[in-house]
Amino acid sequence: MLSILVILPSVQYVFAAEEPGEYLDRRVEIWNLFFRMMTVAFVVGAVVSGTLIWLIWRFRESHPKAKPTSYEEKGVW
Amino acid sequence: MGGHSSWPEWIYIGVVVALLVWVGAEAWNVERLVEHIPAEAKTIIVTGQQWFWTFEHEDGTKEIGELHVKKGIPYKFEIGSKDVIHSFNIPDYLVLMDAVPGRINVVWFLPVEEGEYPIQCREYCGLLHYNMRGTLYVEDGA
Amino acid sequence: MVLELAKPRPIWYIMFSTHHTDIGLLYMITSLAFLFMGGALAIAIRMELFYPGVQFIADSMTFNRMFTIHGTTMIFLFILPFASGVGNYFVPIIVRYKDMAYPKLNAIAFWMIPPAGALVWLSFADFGWYAQPPYSLISSPAPAADMWIFGLKILGVSSILGAINFIVTILKCKHPDLPLSKMPLLGWSFLSSSIIMIVAMPTFAAALLMLLMDRMGVTGFFNPAMGGDPIAYAHLFWFTFHPEVYVLVIPAIGMMYEIIPRFSRKPIFSQGSGMFAFIMLALVSFASWGHHMFATGMSFTEKTVFMIGTLAAVPASAMHVFNFLATMWGGRIKFATPMMWATGGIALFFAAGAGGVVNTAMPLDFITHDSYWVVGHFHLFVFGTIAFGSIGFLYYMFPYITGRMYHEKLGQVHFILSFVGAVMVFFTQHILGLFGMPRRVFDYPPIPEWIAMNQLAGVGAFLILAGSVIFLGNLIYSSGKGKDADMDDPFGLGGKYYYPYQAKTPHH
Repeated sequence: MLSILVILPSVQYVFAAEEPGEYLDRRVEIWNLFFRMMTVAFVVGAVVSGTLIWLIWRFRESHPKAKPTSYEEKGVW
Repeated sequence: MGGHSSWPEWIYIGVVVALLVWVGAEAWNVERLVEHIPAEAKTIIVTGQQWFWTFEHEDGTKEIGELHVKKGIPYKFEIGSKDVIHSFNIPDYLVLMDAVPGRINVVWFLPVEEGEYPIQCREYCGLLHYNMRGTLYVEDGA
Repeated sequence: MVLELAKPRPIWYIMFSTHHTDIGLLYMITSLAFLFMGGALAIAIRMELFYPGVQFIADSMTFNRMFTIHGTTMIFLFILPFASGVGNYFVPIIVRYKDMAYPKLNAIAFWMIPPAGALVWLSFADFGWYAQPPYSLISSPAPAADMWIFGLKILGVSSILGAINFIVTILKCKHPDLPLSKMPLLGWSFLSSSIIMIVAMPTFAAALLMLLMDRMGVTGFFNPAMGGDPIAYAHLFWFTFHPEVYVLVIPAIGMMYEIIPRFSRKPIFSQGSGMFAFIMLALVSFASWGHHMFATGMSFTEKTVFMIGTLAAVPASAMHVFNFLATMWGGRIKFATPMMWATGGIALFFAAGAGGVVNTAMPLDFITHDSYWVVGHFHLFVFGTIAFGSIGFLYYMFPYITGRMYHEKLGQVHFILSFVGAVMVFFTQHILGLFGMPRRVFDYPPIPEWIAMNQLAGVGAFLILAGSVIFLGNLIYSSGKGKDADMDDPFGLGGKYYYPYQAKTPHH
């Protein structure tokens, strides 16, 4: 935590140089960041919800290949 | 419990942590870029009060509920409040900063397209919060 | 058992009881009553926003009072008491003790809630559920705001008493044969959330007192006109209420840990990672409160620290999701109503968490802060995760409480309506936030996208309302006239499950 407090401001200072006369458009920077993150979020979301849906479909008790779990024989879980 | 191996969980946690590090690093980088205020930015003093916005330009002209700026010039808002907490927001330019009584908060932006854009209050401030609106006019300044 | 009409007991036997299942029942009935009251306000809010302009709510002040009381009710009078109810019911059974550690304290903690709820509702205060100064100091009408503060004060004391009771019951009254590491995760969830509560809540209690004294003009802690700093209140408030988010969500996760293995006919995938994730959440929950205040003029360094603190909570939450999915893997899952709610809760929990990661990325705060995105995001937690877990668990407990079975088909219809409704309301609100609509507004300009999305959200709200009506009817009808449940195995899962049916007969 201490290293974060020390390093970040100094790194910020080093990198903060900028060409005069050229300004950055905050809309472009922020929306680009947003869409990069949405891309990743939707990929992860597809994997997680796909897994969940597959689990629901495959391991439902009415699935043709459904078989009792090993715990059911003992009757305790 | 019992007989499962835990390596899938470790891989999963590794992926999650890697993604979070990426998110943090990207966010940190973009925040660093957008927070850097250009030295030649013109100052506009923004004052929120129930329930309207007042703007004071560098040359002393004042506007109420309307803000006229020139295209291509960076502006720095110095935002304060006279009564309760408001939040100065130009959604189309992603300008957002709370107006806190007793403090001056700073945010800058660069108008790039001519037109009219809504200004609104984004922090609940009472009776007419929903109607604490204004208009930003971006004009050709060349 | 308690409400079983085959062996009815007079209502005052239950009301004046100190037995943990009776108090648990009182907690749950009270919290459900407040759920429906708070839900009615939510429907009114969505109806008002269905079109731009004024619909049927007389003025914006009434609207402001409605969202204030909606939020306060749902957080303090539904979610917290419901979790306490479940905890009262199950924690003594889990740790194999005859009752809670302090039965009378338990009853006192419950009986603080109705008067506090009455204070909150009669106040109908107008300053939002977080009573932001200086608005709450200089603009809020007198009796309303002060009544709200007193109501919250009482609720805070009640939660602290309840938390002490849970911690002592779990740590001191646990059966010696049951090591803490083998205690079911539902018990772990109450242990960790109670610890967070005890650490976090006193800060808010202090802040409320300071706010009250400021309102009386005695002090000026938060009043800029007297040299105070309103941001200090925001820090104190969120130091309590960001951890409080975990106090709310952890018991719901614990309830899912109870339902999912049961209906998958498998034990939980990893007890160890569940316990670890609960402890992690309890610790990390205190590192993230500042992310609520990115727009108040925080420095870059402060923002960075709080962003890292917020991101640090994600792996632990992700471990819970993994644990749920891995438990379902290879099972033979019976999708009865409780399991449906738990599964839907996992999906919405993930969506809420992903939205949270996006929220905390500092620059994106310029897009999402105090917009409808935030409303959609936290409702995915409080409704999509917490209420889903809680309602699922209520269906799960129903046969154990009443000795009767709820109507299975109606329970499933309730789930489907609520799930579709939740997606329609809260995902739409995320997009509405991206279009820049601020939260807590009584009216909005007639921008076509805003109208369309508000209407979509309105339709979703009506689906949830329809589900809730079915829910209420199902509860009332089935508790009196439902089919008798098989008390050894009400869901027809087979196998011996060790504890819920032990509470079949209360020991007085």
